[in-house]
Amino acid sequence: MTQTQTPRSQWVPVALSKMIEAGTSAGTVVNGAEIVVWRDTAGAAHAWEDRCPHRGMKMSFGFVRGDHITCLYHGWEYDTSGTCRYVPAHPELEVPKSICISRYGTAEAGGMIWAYTPLGTTEQDPPPVLPALEGVRSVYMDASVARVSDTLQQHSSAPAGDDAALCNAITLTLENTVVTIGLQQISDGQCALHIAVPEGTAPVTKEALLDWCEDLRRTVEGLEAAA
Amino acid sequence: MILHNYDLYEDCYRVRLLASCTEQSLELINVNAFPGAEEKTAPYLKLNPLGRLPILEDKDLCLRNLSAILLYVAEQDAQKRFIPKDSAERARMMDWLGFACDDLSVATEARAVALLDAPGDVVALRAKVRQLFRILDDHLTRQSLKGEPYVAGKTPCLADIALFPAFALCRDFNLDHDEFPAARLWARQIRMLSGFITMPGIPDYH
Repeated sequence: MTQTQTPRSQWVPVALSKMIEAGTSAGTVVNGAEIVVWRDTAGAAHAWEDRCPHRGMKMSFGFVRGDHITCLYHGWEYDTSGTCRYVPAHPELEVPKSICISRYGTAEAGGMIWAYTPLGTTEQDPPPVLPALEGVRSVYMDASVARVSDTLQQHSSAPAGDDAALCNAITLTLENTVVTIGLQQISDGQCALHIAVPEGTAPVTKEALLDWCEDLRRTVEGLEAAA
Repeated sequence: MILHNYDLYEDCYRVRLLASCTEQSLELINVNAFPGAEEKTAPYLKLNPLGRLPILEDKDLCLRNLSAILLYVAEQDAQKRFIPKDSAERARMMDWLGFACDDLSVATEARAVALLDAPGDVVALRAKVRQLFRILDDHLTRQSLKGEPYVAGKTPCLADIALFPAFALCRDFNLDHDEFPAARLWARQIRMLSGFITMPGIPDYH
């Protein structure tokens, strides 16, 4: 028994907040679009198109210094507005403001980082409203979001309260704990589940949830392979 | 200690990385492995009939098995900093050292097919490596929950050093890090070890 909000919001969870430490970046994919998720050293999270305008290198291969993210390839540095601020090969150059990387609307809620998709759309709805939650893990599966949702409906216990603000997220009661699962569609056949629980949840419960995650992955991938 | 080395081989890098992190010097003899296949010439086959690198020589010793080389170099470290003293932790370390050197040899193979013209099916090899990295990521997720950020405990061990190159170099055969968030954070910790060095394919964030 689960609730999913339909139609799905354009806010998609792309990582657990705790897994993107200050000063680091990671790559991910939403519906085929490559995204770099990074956190500046002041702690703000950003989700951008994962592509340096210079030579197309993935920005997620690069590195974060202060509030700039730097391309690994030729060291072009971008500020938090996505604007290129420094080109090492031309240190004297005042970089034209037109050199910039497209950004997604970004928010943090429920222990997850959310991006407003697809790229270039104006935000029609506010970011998800979720209580403060603690990330347990992200688990990646070779299965569609629909397959995972169906499997969760068949295998889960009684539902937690209906929260209209939940988007691309499901709440379930597992191990006597309300578990919030952010659903990220990577492609038609791949997705990520970002698992979060109330702060202060006992380690033994979280460990049981790790077993549950691995079992679920095995189950849905088995179903997907058999389909 | 003499290391018969080829800079682009991750197994040679494993030995160089360990020596650097344990503040030991290696005498490097660079072998023209690609495209020369010098390790398969008569003088080298005398050192290692398997025709492979790395080979480690020290006095009367000539080692060619990766685990044996790594364990030897780690034990030559006066502090033995990467060998756990506790027997259970040491056993866990050996377990993951086996994973790094034996199971993950498919990663070495995948990279050799992608970069160095070795024969093989890179798609099938990549799928195998992905399964192994899932096992590593699942394990590191559990370790982190226990408050142990490394594969065998609270501090980095030989197995962590041995595992790092395979994870850091997998983009060479188009396997990305996206799906392995726990391993990504762990790799960042390894990068911050005192004495850490890179090799071509592993960025140096100057």
